[in-house]
Amino acid sequence: MSPTVEFERRDSLPRWLAYAAPLLTVLAALGIAAVPLVWIGVNPLVAYATVFVVQPSSIGGLADVLTTTLPLFLAGLAVYIPLKAGLWNVGAEGQLFVGAVVGSYVGLNADLPRPLLVPSMLIAATVVSALYGAIPGYLRAEHDVNEIISSLMLTFAATTFTGYLLRGPIQGSGGQTATDRLPEAAQLPTAFHPRLHVGVVALAVVGVFAYLLLSRTRFGYETTFAGSNPEAAAQAGISTYKVYVVVFVVGGCLAGLAGIIEVAGVHGRLFEDFSPQYGFTAIAVALLGRNGVLRVFLAAAFFGVLTAGGTTLAITQNVPTALIDVIVALTILCLLTAEFIKEYRIRLERGGSDPSAEGAA
Amino acid sequence: MTLVAGVLESTVRLATPLLLAAMGEIIAERSGVLNLGVEGMMLGGALTGFAAAVASGSLVVGFIAGTAIGAAMALLHAVLCVSFEADQVISGIMLTLLGVGLTTYFSQGWVGESIEGFRTITVPLLSEIPVVGAAFFSVTALDYLGLALVPFVWYLLFRTNVGREITAVGDDPETADTAGVPVYRIQYACVVLGGAFAGAGGAQLSLAFTNFWAPEMVAGRGWIAVALVIFAQWRIWRVLAGTYFFAAIDALSFRAAAVRDATLGVLDTPALESTVRFLLNPQVMNTYPYLLTIAVLWYVMRRGTLAELGAPSALLESYSRERD
Repeated sequence: MSPTVEFERRDSLPRWLAYAAPLLTVLAALGIAAVPLVWIGVNPLVAYATVFVVQPSSIGGLADVLTTTLPLFLAGLAVYIPLKAGLWNVGAEGQLFVGAVVGSYVGLNADLPRPLLVPSMLIAATVVSALYGAIPGYLRAEHDVNEIISSLMLTFAATTFTGYLLRGPIQGSGGQTATDRLPEAAQLPTAFHPRLHVGVVALAVVGVFAYLLLSRTRFGYETTFAGSNPEAAAQAGISTYKVYVVVFVVGGCLAGLAGIIEVAGVHGRLFEDFSPQYGFTAIAVALLGRNGVLRVFLAAAFFGVLTAGGTTLAITQNVPTALIDVIVALTILCLLTAEFIKEYRIRLERGGSDPSAEGAA
Repeated sequence: MTLVAGVLESTVRLATPLLLAAMGEIIAERSGVLNLGVEGMMLGGALTGFAAAVASGSLVVGFIAGTAIGAAMALLHAVLCVSFEADQVISGIMLTLLGVGLTTYFSQGWVGESIEGFRTITVPLLSEIPVVGAAFFSVTALDYLGLALVPFVWYLLFRTNVGREITAVGDDPETADTAGVPVYRIQYACVVLGGAFAGAGGAQLSLAFTNFWAPEMVAGRGWIAVALVIFAQWRIWRVLAGTYFFAAIDALSFRAAAVRDATLGVLDTPALESTVRFLLNPQVMNTYPYLLTIAVLWYVMRRGTLAELGAPSALLESYSRERD
């Protein structure tokens, strides 16, 4: 007789677990990520102290955290809002690229004064990325084409095509795979600190907009309804067609906004690796913050601190920035495991047999 | 003619990692489990294979290690998706992020090193067939292995009892379970086997194609393998054809300039010149697999459903047996 593991479905979730779960998830991920840190001879406590305490307590560090949180929050919402309708937008990265390309093109070529130039860049970027984002939504609504596959394929099409544009039509004069620097008038002004661009106000503006859209409008109600029960929603006269298209339009719009703000606010020009996979980290952001816009923000802030701190760690303690990708993946891993623990109580027993192993041929 | 032969030769060698990974993905998906972690598993296979080959001095040990790491990563996906009933899409993307992150993190010691990879084995007589001979019969052992596995996997999936059980699990796990098919065991086996194939594909890249390791060297091939399975509508022979088609695009993009000049020489229509230049640009050509996959999906879904297209009906759904 060997000890076996049994799973029991929980009747109700203990209250403390509901609140503590996201925090425990994050702590578990950081705990596992200590292994690769120890491996290369870095004390994980020192590393985490740098990321979570030292880094955000300087003004410059805080500026980096805010400017990194912004694209993660916007792209996170680009995943979160379709998720409310029951759809997976795994193409935020592509929409972000489209916004960045279109916005940079306008910034480099439109000869307008600053008060007009920046808004036209933002508008052009969001409109085109909203259209690009609309493709998976439309294909899903009209032909029931799986939105996960189409949004993913469109992401790789967009990033690859950006590579073409940066080697040809919009390549700068320096011969690198990058555009020229945006003119002064096309860059976002900074405030308080040379690295803190005014684009971060979008954190508040978009946050409030998303909150109102989802919880105070008819569309938000329809989205949530369609997401929780599409058949019942259709019977209640809600057009899932409209919901599916609109959530993807809004998603594309927000991801595109993130893209152009990243270029015009942080880098000042477009190059191939301008986004450290924001669009994919956004999936973890939306998952971790699944229960509301504020939680999406908190999740974005967590990964924002990590990403900004990761750069510092790379410089000060020679830790590869890939550690951040590992922590993002581990957070998702722990999250998926936590989901299971929330659903089932795990019981270790001696003897007995595993029910799933029975009935084998 | 040398251009055609050259393109064909690189097509065969570029096809192997795609072929292995796509066959693995078909096995997993036919049991009802989508695995979007192919890119990550291939990277794991490429780095582990390379590192093990350098450490042990044996290419075969390296290849086995790369295959094993693919299987191990897939096991994680199987635990999450089959036992923990997690969302397959999320778990798969996690696996890719994990593979990209870990291989980049641990790659520092291996960047810049190179090895003498698998040697070309030339089959006498057959390799002397004009044009196709050198392409198909003068490649490495791993390329032969990839091609040899195609009929094997086809036979396994479509001509054996196990294959029928896999299809039954992928289409309707509940009925399969009632009929006595070990649903969980089959899903675990298929996902792990699929991961082994992806790991092998990655190991082929570093041990028989580039002969060095570089971070993110898989360069999207894992995603193309995922696309290929849909493009080929979950059928093995179509995957073989699709693989060669996508690999040919890749091979052409390596020689884009020569191909472009040849095309322009034949066309000789100044009005079309800029279009041809655009369409035959290497980066533009690299978007074709993705766009073609969407086009195929769109074209087929206009008339039918994903299941009619050939997808397992229960793909993406985790099967939950009443456990208490």
